[in-house]
Amino acid sequence: MIAHIRLDAMILQTVARPYRDLVTRPTGRAVRRQVMNVLQEAANHDALLDFSDIGVVDFSCADEIVAKLLTGADGVGVTRIVLRGLSDSHVEAIEQVLQHHGLVVVAICAGNPAPRLLGQVNDDDRAAFHALIAAGRSGPEPVATALAWSVERARQALNTLVGRRCLLAHPDATFELGVVA
Amino acid sequence: MRIVDVPGSLDDRTIDQFAASVGAWPPDDRLLVDARATQFASPAGFTALLTLGQAVAEAAGPRPLLHLPTSDNVSSYWAKAGLLEHAADYFELHGKVPRRRRAEDSDVLLPVRPVREQLDVHAIIDGINDKITQMLTEQLHHEASFIGGFSQSLSEVCQNVVEHAGTGGWVAAHTYLFRQRLGRNVAVISVSDAGIGFRRSFEGLHARQLGDRWTDGAAIEAALIHGQSRFRDPGRGQGLMAVKRFVSKWNSKVSVRSGTARVAIGPRNWDDEDPRTDDLAWFPGSQLTIVIPAKAGGS
Repeated sequence: MIAHIRLDAMILQTVARPYRDLVTRPTGRAVRRQVMNVLQEAANHDALLDFSDIGVVDFSCADEIVAKLLTGADGVGVTRIVLRGLSDSHVEAIEQVLQHHGLVVVAICAGNPAPRLLGQVNDDDRAAFHALIAAGRSGPEPVATALAWSVERARQALNTLVGRRCLLAHPDATFELGVVA
Repeated sequence: MRIVDVPGSLDDRTIDQFAASVGAWPPDDRLLVDARATQFASPAGFTALLTLGQAVAEAAGPRPLLHLPTSDNVSSYWAKAGLLEHAADYFELHGKVPRRRRAEDSDVLLPVRPVREQLDVHAIIDGINDKITQMLTEQLHHEASFIGGFSQSLSEVCQNVVEHAGTGGWVAAHTYLFRQRLGRNVAVISVSDAGIGFRRSFEGLHARQLGDRWTDGAAIEAALIHGQSRFRDPGRGQGLMAVKRFVSKWNSKVSVRSGTARVAIGPRNWDDEDPRTDDLAWFPGSQLTIVIPAKAGGS
């Protein structure tokens, strides 16, 4: 199950005006609190933050909502937080704040259904992420083959991504992105 | 009565002459701000004028007089740009006051607006509508991704007033032909407040450590160059860093004046301002200006 959170609805509840921009730190803080309330109900599930109907996301709001949610996600028990419906300018703001904090998140941009990683991620982890998506649910072997790596190197990259809440690991030693759209 | 001369062209650089003319602070006499000979004011000029009026009011000084430009065209533009409706709150207006009210359908990107609280910032960003987007793309010839960065930067610089100034401020954005320095159109965003300034805002962090070296210029550099913040939250200080990245990406310039110093970051291919200027005439609060030139070779 995925908890689908429309951020445009959260803005409306927060500022009580028909604005569609995620701007200012106080707004970001208030929206984050609302999102956290929803996430409390979604323990052990993925959460999808939907930016589809959002206009501008500034850096302060990106920091308050995305970065602080990711650093506080342990406390609410959701499996992962995934971003959806991002425009190029959303990506720019979110990527910058995630790099600043050393964080990473799975994101799906508007007009491009391919999942990508935003934030601070090394080349191995990024390559393993894309190789696993191409392979589908699998162990590290297909990823290692696709990238001409050792199995251990592939396993290490995939485990890192699991630890950073970008992939799911299963008891049968397979990995997958799971349903994020 | 103390006469304060407004330069013939009032912008982010000539504000220094304007500040020098204000003299001792707080003024010991009523100010007469004389703009009769003024032919041009940029957004930096408009917001600085209002900042002076606001600062006098907040210092409980006598209400200053503002003598409007003699040129009908210039004073009409001042009305169109939204200056006069706010100036009337802080100045006794003299001269021929144009009847024309602020025109929402003018070529001004963003008429002078107050910035006092977060909802003001929301309203300003919400106002970056299709018409303004079209003006920016047609006049500056930048690709569509420019608009997002423009709005993000506008939001960040407005928020700085709400978060740091300790009082309200003003924002304006225009496009015009930057004839002398570039020969191209530019978009200019200016934000000015009558608040405590960068040095006092950061004082708790650095003043004891740096002693006499803790100056207005050092405080501006701490924020603009080094991304420091007075808050302990590690996510703070990213707003001005984002503005810096935006101006770097679009061959643009950002300058911050506060107290007696100005720090500027601009491309050497069209901007000749020193990176840091100290010992300027004191002016209330802080002033930030972003100048974004049209893409070279744009038709």
